[in-house]
Amino acid sequence: MFREMVGGLRITLREMMTKPITIQYPEEQRPVPPRHRGRHILHRYDNGLEKCIGCELCAGACPVGCIYVQAAENDPQHPVSPGERYAVRYEINLMRCIYCGYCAEACPTEAITLGPRLDLADYKRERLVATKDDLLEAWPGFHPMAQGVAEGRGAPAPQTSPLGAGSSHQGPAGSAPGLRPPIPGSRGSGGGAAPI
Amino acid sequence: MADASTVAELVNISVDGRPVEVPPGTLVWDACEKAGIFVPVYCAHKKLEPVAVCRMCLVEVEGLPKLQPACATRVAPGMVVRTQTEQVRKFRDGNLEFLLLNHPLDCPVCDRGGECDLQDFTQRYGPGRARSSITEKVHFDKAVKLSDKIMLDQERCILCWRCVRYYEEITGEREIVLQERGVHTVVDSFERQPLQSQFQGNLPEICPVGALTHRQYRFRARPWDLRRTASVCSHCSYGCNIFVDAREEQIARYASNDNPEVDDSWLCDQGRYGFPELNRPERVINPEARVGGLRQAVSYQDAVARAAGALLRVRGDHGGTSVGVLGSPRMTNEEAFVLQWLAREVIATPHVDHRYEPLEGISPEQFRLGIAELEGCDAVVVIGDRPERLSPVLTLRLYKVANKLGRQILRVPETFSAAQVVKQLPAAGRIGIVAAQADRAAAMGLRAKAGSAGREAAVLTITEAVNSRGCQDLGLLPNVGPGYRSLEHSGLFGRQLLEAAVAGQIKALLVVGDGADFEAEGLFHEALAKVDVAVVVTAWQGVASRAATVLLPGRTIAEKAGTVTNTEGRVQRVRTAVEPKFTFPSDLRILGDLAAGLGSDLGVQALAAPVFELLAAAVPAYRGCQAGLRAHWEPGS
Ligand code: SF4
Ligand code: SF4
Ligand code: SF4
Ligand code: SF4
Ligand code: FES
Repeated sequence: MFREMVGGLRITLREMMTKPITIQYPEEQRPVPPRHRGRHILHRYDNGLEKCIGCELCAGACPVGCIYVQAAENDPQHPVSPGERYAVRYEINLMRCIYCGYCAEACPTEAITLGPRLDLADYKRERLVATKDDLLEAWPGFHPMAQGVAEGRGAPAPQTSPLGAGSSHQGPAGSAPGLRPPIPGSRGSGGGAAPI
Repeated sequence: MADASTVAELVNISVDGRPVEVPPGTLVWDACEKAGIFVPVYCAHKKLEPVAVCRMCLVEVEGLPKLQPACATRVAPGMVVRTQTEQVRKFRDGNLEFLLLNHPLDCPVCDRGGECDLQDFTQRYGPGRARSSITEKVHFDKAVKLSDKIMLDQERCILCWRCVRYYEEITGEREIVLQERGVHTVVDSFERQPLQSQFQGNLPEICPVGALTHRQYRFRARPWDLRRTASVCSHCSYGCNIFVDAREEQIARYASNDNPEVDDSWLCDQGRYGFPELNRPERVINPEARVGGLRQAVSYQDAVARAAGALLRVRGDHGGTSVGVLGSPRMTNEEAFVLQWLAREVIATPHVDHRYEPLEGISPEQFRLGIAELEGCDAVVVIGDRPERLSPVLTLRLYKVANKLGRQILRVPETFSAAQVVKQLPAAGRIGIVAAQADRAAAMGLRAKAGSAGREAAVLTITEAVNSRGCQDLGLLPNVGPGYRSLEHSGLFGRQLLEAAVAGQIKALLVVGDGADFEAEGLFHEALAKVDVAVVVTAWQGVASRAATVLLPGRTIAEKAGTVTNTEGRVQRVRTAVEPKFTFPSDLRILGDLAAGLGSDLGVQALAAPVFELLAAAVPAYRGCQAGLRAHWEPGS
C-alpha cells in the first residue's frame, strides 16, 4: 500500500514540475490547425468584389439545410460580384450547422470556406444565425458594398461584426458595438477593426 | 411510313424487348414512352411537329443500318427498337460532347440550373470527362433583354429550334430566328426587335436549356427552393391549369400544367406574370371591429359575434331586405354557394350579387360549346375582339383551329348582321360562335339564325374573372338562384344595391371577397360610409376594409382550397399554394361561423359535410365534376 502511495505521489510531483497545458481562455487562445472547420467566411477578390455569386449550390449541398441564399441581379454600374448574379441575402444557421464543409466543397467560386473561429456561444439564438454582414470578409477600402450606404445599411467599411468578419489565424476579430455586447474581458476588449 | 395503312388496327412493336401496341403512325418516341422507356430529346416537343435536328433521340431500329431519330420515325408493324445499345450510347456521348464544346457552363449563375435538360442528360448519358483541348470557346451575347419579359443568353442555346417552331406553329408570330451557319449559328429576335407577343412566357418553358429565361423569375429561386402546387390561373375565366411555385409563402412563378382540353399547355403573359398582385403586402391580417366609434383589433370570436349581432339588429329593426350581400367573382364555388345561401336563407334578403354591373338574361345555353370542341367546328365566328382580350389564350386555340386544322375563322365586329354572317359560313357542318358575355345576345341571335339556316351552331361565352361562371351557376346573383333557378322575388343588382344603400334603404352590407370590381367605384365608397353596419371579409386593405364596422381577414385565391368553374363550365380545383400570415379560419369557415352566429344550424352542417356535396345537391349539373369535368347542363335548362 505504501508503495502505491509513493507511486501516485511521484506522478503528482512530476506533473508539478511540468508546464500546465491549461490556458486562460478566452484571454489566451491556442492557434487552430490550418484546416480547422469553424465558422464560415465569405471571401472577396482582391478588388473587393464578393466571390459569392448567389448560386445556392452551398444551400443545395448542405445536408442539414441551414443555409439560406437569396440571389439578385447585379447592377452593372455597381456590381457586388463579378457577373450577372450575386447574393443579396446570405444566412447560415450556426446552431444547425454540423461543420461538415460540404458547402465549401460545393461552391464553384471558392467563396465560402470554414474558418478558424470556434467560440460560437451566445445568450440569444437569433444571434447565431449569421448574416452576410457577419460572414463577409472585411474590406478596408472603397468597395461595392458602399451601395449599402445609399440603402441605409450602415457604413461600408471596415466591416466588422460580432461574429467576426475576416477572422484570421492570428487572433479573434473585434466586435462591433451595438450588435452584440462584447464578452467582458475577452478578445482584447473594446473591439476594433478586424485584422485582414 | 405508315401513311398507307390508315386502318385503325394497332401495330405491335418491341422496345428493348418489351412488346408494346400502338396505333399506326405513332412516333417511335411515343411508343417508347408507352413502353416505359425514356428517350432523351431536345428538339422534339409534344406540342410541336418533329424536325429531328438535335439527334439526341437516336435509337437502333433492327434492319436499318443507321440509327434513327425516335422523335421523327413512325412505327411499322413488327419494328424492333433498341435504345440501350453500345452504338446508341456512343452517339449520345458524342452528341453531348458536341453540345458542350462551346457551351458556357454557366450553371451556377444560370436560372435553369437544377431543371436543365442539358445538365440532366449530361449527367445521365454524358461521357463524364472532356476530351477537347479547346480553351477558347465561341462567344455570343449574354443577358440580352429580348423584351421586358424575356432574357436571352445566346451562348446557352443548343439550337433545338423549339422557340422558332413555337412561334411558327403555335402563335404564328415568327419573332425569333436562328441566324448564320455552323458553329456561328445563333438565336436572336428578328433584327433584335423587342418581342411583342402576348405569349412570350411560354418560351422559357419550351426552351430545354437556360437560353431563354423569365426576367420576372430571374435569380428568384432554385428549383429545390420551390414548393409546387397544381392549381388554376386566377387571371381570367378561361381556367388554364398551372403549377404555382412558391418560395417561403410567396409565389415565385406560375408554370403551365398541360390540360389539352383547356390551355393545351400554353399560358398568356397576363396570367403567367400576373401573380405579383397576390404577393402584395397590403393585407388585412387581424379581425377588427368598431367599438364605440373607434376601430380596434378584436379576437376572431368577438368579431364574428359582433358581425352577427349587428346584422341581426338591422334585420330586426328594418327587416331582412335592408341587408345587402356582395361577393366576388374570385371566390370559390363553395364560398359562392354558401354566401348566396347565407343571404337568402339565413339573413333572408334577395339582395345578393357578385358584380357591379347588372347581368340579365343568362342561361347555360350561352356556354354550350366547350373550348376543345372548337376543334370540332367547321367554322368559328368570333364576335369582336373582346373574347380574346378577356382570355388571350383563346387566340392560340383559334390559331390552331385555323392553321393546323384548316378551318374557317370569321372575325366579325360587335355589331353585325346575322344574315350576312350566315351567308359567309360553309353550307353545312358545325358552327362555333365565340363571344364575350357582354355580346351574349348577339351570339344567341346568330345561333338562332344559323340554326334556322340549317347549321348546327353552339355558343362559347367568355366571362370575366376566374370564377364568374361559378358565381352565375351557383346563383350569386339577385335574379337567379343556384342552377339558374328562377326566383319569386328578384333582388337588386350590385350597382342598384349600392345606390339603395346611399339612398338609405339598405342599412347593412356584408361584403365578402376581394371586392376588386367595386373598389374603383365611388358609389361603393359612398354606400359603405352611409350604411349603419358594414361587415367585410377581405384579404386586401382598401375602401371596404377601411370603412368596415367589422373586418375579418380573408384569403387570396392562392391561399384557399376549393373549386372554380371556368367559362365553359369546367369545375377545377384550386389548392392552397401559400399559407397566409395569419391562422384565422378560411373564408368558407368564416361564412359558416357567421351563419351559426345568425342562428342557423345549417352553418354547422355546411362545415361538416363537404360543401361541394351540398352544392351539387342544389345544382345537379355539378354532381361529380369537382375533378375537372364540365358541368352537364340539360339542354334547355
Ligand atoms: S458546414 Fe455543412 S452543415 Fe454547415 S453550412 Fe456547410 S454544408 Fe451546411
Ligand atoms: S457561397 Fe458559393 S455556393 Fe454558396 S451561393 Fe455563394 S457562390 Fe454559390
Ligand atoms: S443551360 Fe443548363 S447546362 Fe447551360 S449553363 Fe444553364 S443550367 Fe448549365
Ligand atoms: S433558344 Fe432555347 S428553344 Fe430556342 S433554339 Fe435555343 S435552346 Fe432551343
Ligand atoms: S429529339 Fe429527335 S432529333 Fe431532336
